[in-house]
Amino acid sequence: MSFQRTQKVAGRMFAGAYRSIRTKLLSWFLIVTLIPLFSLGALSYYQSARIINSQFGKYGDNAVAQLEQQTSSTLSRMKQTAETIYSYLLDPSRMGIGNQAPTTYRDILEKNDFESLLKSLRTQLTAGIYIITTSGYYYGENNLDVAKLDRIPLWRSKPKAYAGTYWLGFYPQDHFIKSSDSGNRSVIGLAVPIHHPDKSQDGSIILIEEYAEELLQMFRQFEQDTHAHLQISSPDGTVIYETDAAYSPKDSDVTWSRTLAVNQWTLEARIPAKAFYRSSGIIRANTMTVAILSCLLAFGIAYLFSSRFTSRIRTLKDSMQKVSFGKLDTRTPIDGRDELGSLDMSFNRMVTGIQELIGEVERSERLKKEAELRAFHYQINPHLLFNTLNSIQWKARLEGAEDIRLMLYHLTMVLEGNLDISQELVTLRRELRMIEHFLKVQEIRYGEVFRYRLECDDSLLPYLIPRMTLQPLFENIFFHAFTDGEGEIDMSIRMDGDDLVLMLRDNGAGMKEEQLARLFSPEVKRKGRGGLGVRNADQKFKLHFGPLYGLTVYSVKGEGTTITIRWPKKEESDDVGNRENQGADCR
Amino acid sequence: MVIVSVMALTASMLAGCGGGGTGTAQEPDNGSQAGVTTLRFATWDTGDALKIEQDIAKKFEESHPGTKVQVEAYADGFDQKLAAGFGAANPPDVMYMWDFPTYHQSLEPLDDYASKDKDLNIDDFYQGLFNYGKIGDKLYGIPAGFTTRVVYYNKKLFDEAGIAYPNDGWTWTDFQDIAKRLTDPSKKQYGFGVRAENDTYDLQGLVWSNGGSFISEDGTTIEGYMNSKETAEAIQMLGDMLKNGTAVLAGGKGQQSGEDIFKAGKIAMWESGIWPLESFREAGIDVGTVEMPAFPGKPVKGVLAESALSIAKDSKHKDLAWEFIKFYVSDEAIKMRVADLPVRASVVNELKKDQDPLYKPYYTMLERSDNTPAFLLNPKWNEVNRQLSAAVESVMFGSDAQEALNQAVKDSERYLK
Repeated sequence: MSFQRTQKVAGRMFAGAYRSIRTKLLSWFLIVTLIPLFSLGALSYYQSARIINSQFGKYGDNAVAQLEQQTSSTLSRMKQTAETIYSYLLDPSRMGIGNQAPTTYRDILEKNDFESLLKSLRTQLTAGIYIITTSGYYYGENNLDVAKLDRIPLWRSKPKAYAGTYWLGFYPQDHFIKSSDSGNRSVIGLAVPIHHPDKSQDGSIILIEEYAEELLQMFRQFEQDTHAHLQISSPDGTVIYETDAAYSPKDSDVTWSRTLAVNQWTLEARIPAKAFYRSSGIIRANTMTVAILSCLLAFGIAYLFSSRFTSRIRTLKDSMQKVSFGKLDTRTPIDGRDELGSLDMSFNRMVTGIQELIGEVERSERLKKEAELRAFHYQINPHLLFNTLNSIQWKARLEGAEDIRLMLYHLTMVLEGNLDISQELVTLRRELRMIEHFLKVQEIRYGEVFRYRLECDDSLLPYLIPRMTLQPLFENIFFHAFTDGEGEIDMSIRMDGDDLVLMLRDNGAGMKEEQLARLFSPEVKRKGRGGLGVRNADQKFKLHFGPLYGLTVYSVKGEGTTITIRWPKKEESDDVGNRENQGADCR
Repeated sequence: MVIVSVMALTASMLAGCGGGGTGTAQEPDNGSQAGVTTLRFATWDTGDALKIEQDIAKKFEESHPGTKVQVEAYADGFDQKLAAGFGAANPPDVMYMWDFPTYHQSLEPLDDYASKDKDLNIDDFYQGLFNYGKIGDKLYGIPAGFTTRVVYYNKKLFDEAGIAYPNDGWTWTDFQDIAKRLTDPSKKQYGFGVRAENDTYDLQGLVWSNGGSFISEDGTTIEGYMNSKETAEAIQMLGDMLKNGTAVLAGGKGQQSGEDIFKAGKIAMWESGIWPLESFREAGIDVGTVEMPAFPGKPVKGVLAESALSIAKDSKHKDLAWEFIKFYVSDEAIKMRVADLPVRASVVNELKKDQDPLYKPYYTMLERSDNTPAFLLNPKWNEVNRQLSAAVESVMFGSDAQEALNQAVKDSERYLK
């Protein structure tokens, strides 16, 4: 159950690792940190562990060699002392050294000489030199109690018949007549039996004892220094010395072993593998600790860094999300001048652009709606208007008022163009025809006082132009530029690359600078309708073709006005063409 | 090898501990260094007596700033180590000394110091003590302590047996009688204890008391002295007491020392110097002392065991050594040394030691100690003594004293020629 859960959590984390840039960043950071860290740590561990192990091995070997040397020197000194005594006793002239207590002057003299030899053999380390005869009488210092010799463990267990040297090992010297108050000192003992069948001292035993505290101290020091288990055993397997009897040797133990040349004792130091590798274990533990700490540190730093890094990305992402939800006034804060900062900046710029564009679109949509509404308003009852106009026309014919009838006819034509809002873009041909109807109306009104000249190649007539853009301009000319309809109007349409350029010039009143400036500004309230046509026309072009296109007005007060319109060449599509029968004629 | 390495270790430890100090680490070879003078003082004492000597050394250091007294306790190895020190021209500055005939050539004559230095107050000493420190006419040792030999007795055992305590003026007959009455083999209790290996020096009082001696007064002849009837008789007497069971051998192979047996209440009487007195009292023995018994009709003679202080001829600090000796025999130091008898009459009077019944016999015996011991009479005495010791020992094991001594004299003659 819990396993499944952990699996799920791990899975989520794993999946998350692929999703979150932060996790990726973190893992890369860690990998980059940990690989050198661990390889360095492992390298230093293996190298120092190797050196330490080999040094410790050498140290142990040397220490054991030193123990061997010290023990050897003690043992050989003792053996030498025994040999000196032995050879003294072998001297045929020493007849007085018997196996009984000497009582005669001569024997005592011999005994005294012998004992002064024993005394001269003593060194600082000598604990005792005795020759114990078969009778129980002994030579040497008077302090020995022969009966207590059995307190020496190996003395008790010494075989009945033995030859050469017999080492008694380490034991407390506890065989004095007077029990020592200040504790019994540790000694090492050697027993040498005398084989001399012809002499009375045959069977006597030379007992040499040396203080062993220094040796034992060395052993203990060694044990303490190396945590080794030290064991000295004689060739027959008797344990002479042992650190701890409870110690059970293992095959994995590191051992140093020496054999004493003097008596074939084996000196063996054993260190459990665990203890031997303890130092390197400490190094390993330290290396691990440092590695783990560095790991945590790296993780922490990576976490901090990546959180700083990704939080910026996240802020940006959040901002984008907000924008995507339509909050266009969202701006992301700019931290720093790095790539992310410039990303932030670009984002902000982009959102500003989008916001402006959308505002533009919104406004144009609104304008369109307004225009449509207005048109709808005009359309309220065109039939009524046209019927009425037709009635008036009919009446005028009946009355013989040809002028009025003509005027009405042309007005009807103009109004038809005006009121047909089914298309926003119409052909040049249609727009020009409507202008002609408009001019006819003006001609009837003012008489033939103005001149209109059109310069337009027929091939340009099928191209599209926004509806009702030229008529207001002409209206402006008659209402503002001309007085009583007098003046000249020149209009030329030509092709300029992919664009069409229309130039409308009059020689009317012209405009002053400020008037000119006011023409395109939407804010200024105008008196009357004057000038509205220019701005509307310009907006229409811009609306349909983009801000690069539209009107430019050049005017000099008293000299007339020139309006230039530029818009892209665009032919009507088929479906548009089908609905416009006159357009079809042109083709 | 071992000693060298230990020394090196000690030196490095000192260097380690004393780092940044005033650098007063001493080398035993070179006494003076960086303002601190080390005076080496060798003694044969151990235990309590050694402790007292160390205290005196400390007192001396206090009154002599810049001085360190290094007390070297040679114990049993005294002769060996001293001889080695002289041999290597590296002896202690001041040392305990008794065997002047052997060592006087390595010692500094002290007459000039003693006569010039009024502080010593040489007249206050028991004058007889100076005889032991003189070789020829030169004084080589200032008496530091001495003892005479007395008989200790266990009052409890005397009381139990209903025997009156012995008094000055008693005889060896009285002694043997008492010993016999205080012997009870069933309890392993004996009247007297005899050393298996006697120091012949200690036996001189006994021999002199019987009108004998080991050597002629001019120190040239032993024949007729060492094996004289009187000498043999005196030694035979000890052998006889062992034979008849009124005395027990002590201190031999497998035997307890006489002092231990006495402390155990198994011998009623014991003959010795002042050394064991303190330990007897500590062991809870109600002990009494009495002067040595006399041979009927003969004056009691005593033998004096003296310890003196000497200065090595090779010493580099002889003046300081003299100061130390002077301090060692001052009233203050003498009073500290309870294991010795005071060498100054003034101290004895002040402490009323000669009035104390326990101490009085030592002073009585001091008055009786006017014979010159053999070792002062002949420089070859040590060689002769080897035979004499064997002879005396054989008597303890049942040999006839006269025969043994005759043999010893015969074997020793060649050393005196």
